[in-house]
Amino acid sequence: MNIRLITAGALLALGLAAGPAAQAQRVLFRADPATDSMQVSYGPNRRFYQHLLLGYAPVIGRPDGSGAALRYFKSAEPFIGVRNKFRLNNAASVGFDVRYARLVYALEQNSQKLLPDATLHQQESIVLSQVQLEPFVRLGFGRRGNVIGRYLDLSGWGGWVMATSHRTEDEPGTGGSARTVVVEHGLNYLRRWPFGVATRLGSGRYAFTARYRLSDTFTAGANPVYVELPRWLVGLELGLF
Amino acid sequence: MRFSLIPGLLLTLIVLRVHAQPLPTARYWVSFRDKAHQTLRPTSYFHPAAQARRHRQHLPAADSTDLPVRLDYVARVQSAVDTVTLVSRWFNAVACRATPAQAARLRWLPGVRSVEAWPTHDLLPASRPAALARPLTAADRSLARRQTASLGGADFRQARLNGQGLRIAIFDVGFNGADQHAAFAHLRRRQAVVATYDFLRHTPDVYQGGNHGTEVLSCIAGQLPDSTYLGLAPGAEFLLARTEQMYRERYAEEEAWLAAAEWADRNGADIINSSLGYTDRRYFPEQMNGRTSLVARAAELAVRKGMLVVNAAGNDGDDPKWRTVGTPADGDSVLAVGGLDPDTYLHIEFSSYGPAPSKRLKPNVAAFGAAITAVPGGYSRTEGTSFSSPLVAGFAACVWQQQRNLSVMELFRQLQQAGQLYPYFDYAHGYGLLQARYFTAPAAAATAPTFDFVRQDSLVRLIIRAEAAFVPARTLPLFADSVQAVTPAGAAPVAAVGQEQARPVPPTPQPEEQVAPTPPAYLYWQLLDAQGNLLRYEVLEVTQRAVLRLPLARLTAGTRLRVHYKGYTETYSGQ
Repeated sequence: MNIRLITAGALLALGLAAGPAAQAQRVLFRADPATDSMQVSYGPNRRFYQHLLLGYAPVIGRPDGSGAALRYFKSAEPFIGVRNKFRLNNAASVGFDVRYARLVYALEQNSQKLLPDATLHQQESIVLSQVQLEPFVRLGFGRRGNVIGRYLDLSGWGGWVMATSHRTEDEPGTGGSARTVVVEHGLNYLRRWPFGVATRLGSGRYAFTARYRLSDTFTAGANPVYVELPRWLVGLELGLF
Repeated sequence: MRFSLIPGLLLTLIVLRVHAQPLPTARYWVSFRDKAHQTLRPTSYFHPAAQARRHRQHLPAADSTDLPVRLDYVARVQSAVDTVTLVSRWFNAVACRATPAQAARLRWLPGVRSVEAWPTHDLLPASRPAALARPLTAADRSLARRQTASLGGADFRQARLNGQGLRIAIFDVGFNGADQHAAFAHLRRRQAVVATYDFLRHTPDVYQGGNHGTEVLSCIAGQLPDSTYLGLAPGAEFLLARTEQMYRERYAEEEAWLAAAEWADRNGADIINSSLGYTDRRYFPEQMNGRTSLVARAAELAVRKGMLVVNAAGNDGDDPKWRTVGTPADGDSVLAVGGLDPDTYLHIEFSSYGPAPSKRLKPNVAAFGAAITAVPGGYSRTEGTSFSSPLVAGFAACVWQQQRNLSVMELFRQLQQAGQLYPYFDYAHGYGLLQARYFTAPAAAATAPTFDFVRQDSLVRLIIRAEAAFVPARTLPLFADSVQAVTPAGAAPVAAVGQEQARPVPPTPQPEEQVAPTPPAYLYWQLLDAQGNLLRYEVLEVTQRAVLRLPLARLTAGTRLRVHYKGYTETYSGQ
């Protein structure tokens, strides 16, 4: 923006600081309509829009069998990412999200537990740190101006699990310590390339999101007693704009 | 892979819920093909004041847009849909709520020309505190006097012009307390509020819904306890219409605006003041062309019926996502009023800028963008172009009282010509602050040249003439205000048009910050391209006679320099 309205007080201060000048005329107001009135192609309902987002999606559902019971709401995927949206018309857009998602399966400690072994701990979790890409098609509802409005997104997603870990915590710890935390990295029984489908129902900056994983959690070479973990993530998303 | 139990249950619940509820309805706008065999007796339909207005302006007693909508068409729509919310004679259309299936059937009804989806609403956050009355400070009293004095209120008073005989319709969010407030006691005494109607709740009670309408009314006809008038037309009659909700934006409001305009027309309104505007919740800036929104088209039609429509330019000047005027201020025939800072007499930062799309001049004129207004229980200082608009509406009422036979567009042009800067204009101030003396002392308005362009080698200098550079000593008036109002630094942004709220008490100004009793003589200059569009414009404080120099290289390819100083405007082409 090229508009500058300089208050009398500020001008007075400037004038005093500059001392007696030869050109004593002071610009009180200035505008440049050529740049101020430029056609805008960037905005929430413009040709292109990009914004940050963050969200939290708990794991929903049960494992495919016994041995891998989960603690719900501690088992969840918080995520943060960037959304790029390209407007086709007022009713439809396409776009893609790039995000970092940290999927945590908090394992229930009971006598049936088999994942990754039968040992019981105070707390135990399997963590998958992922980078995901999610192309989507957006259907917008209602006439609106330069705002996001209400929408339904349909998408597919895929990702790369860049790090895996198995974390256990016991109290009291070994050797007289108060607590023992053991973290094992590089779990070779977890698949590295998850993918799935998703949908979002949103209004403005808020969205209800549901993701379904089509790929399996474990590799073919994993222990056969490992049952498939829940495939649904259902949660909320907040657009930062 | 299989669906697990919980999502399955959720889905089942959702499906069951959807099946258990009636189908949702949406809003539709149904236009009809004709008004065949419809008749109208203008003498019985229109209020005598409305008939007189048309007669004065040589308009027909009624035209096809005044004929009623065919009852058989309306009845068919009524039987086919859930609710008819508006019947518009002007647009030969109805607004209704219907399911998509009902809307599809409407298209096949006889006489239906088109059926357009007319979406429901968007919500706005309700985060602003309510306006509170507070004791008036000396700065407030000063501002109260200057908000009319700046327009030449004293000249109108001397000429006994106060809007008498004019009817002004005000469309707003509600008029809380206006039926009891002392500021309007003189209106109640002579029963000057001749009709009221709430077009959202369909009741005559408009004294609820918000304070904004009360504040706007006070900027036309309010009065302080010391008898200072806050507006210029305390002698007018008023039609008060509630067309807007305070914290929500509904498309229904645009329907309500149209219904209110038809109501105002029928009841003999001469002027509509609409301190409302719709922006990015519904539209894009490039749609501010006066043809896209229903409310802009309704405003244009209202002008064709002989009513002057005065509208706030908008409070989006400091919003980089919008900046330009809202609608209906975008209409060509709508007088869009921008805001001035009462301390500097320059554009106030939140007032929306022009141009409108196609480089059309907006705002048209300007008045103070901060004012003392009546609020329930007392008075308050409030900012927004919502208050510039009624100040100009009151001004227009005085002019029309003086020259009752002007047509509405003649009045529109004369109001622009009464701008302090006319024929100079820019996209921040329009033609500038209106000046009553243009009408009360037209001979005095003519101005001799005040400056010369002097060409020197590769540049042009602007030299103020010696006679225009004389700064006379000022004779003290018998009484004067001791302090002046100033805009508080770091104040919160001003809300959208129609939602402005009271400001906190400003700090006491320092003596050196006091405002001159008359507008300062600034120098306005601009560069125009060959088509007359502004490329750049500035306002300079004048402290020496050689006030501006510009390289001639800037004046190539038809670019011209236009300057305004002390009422005189001249253009230099560099040839």
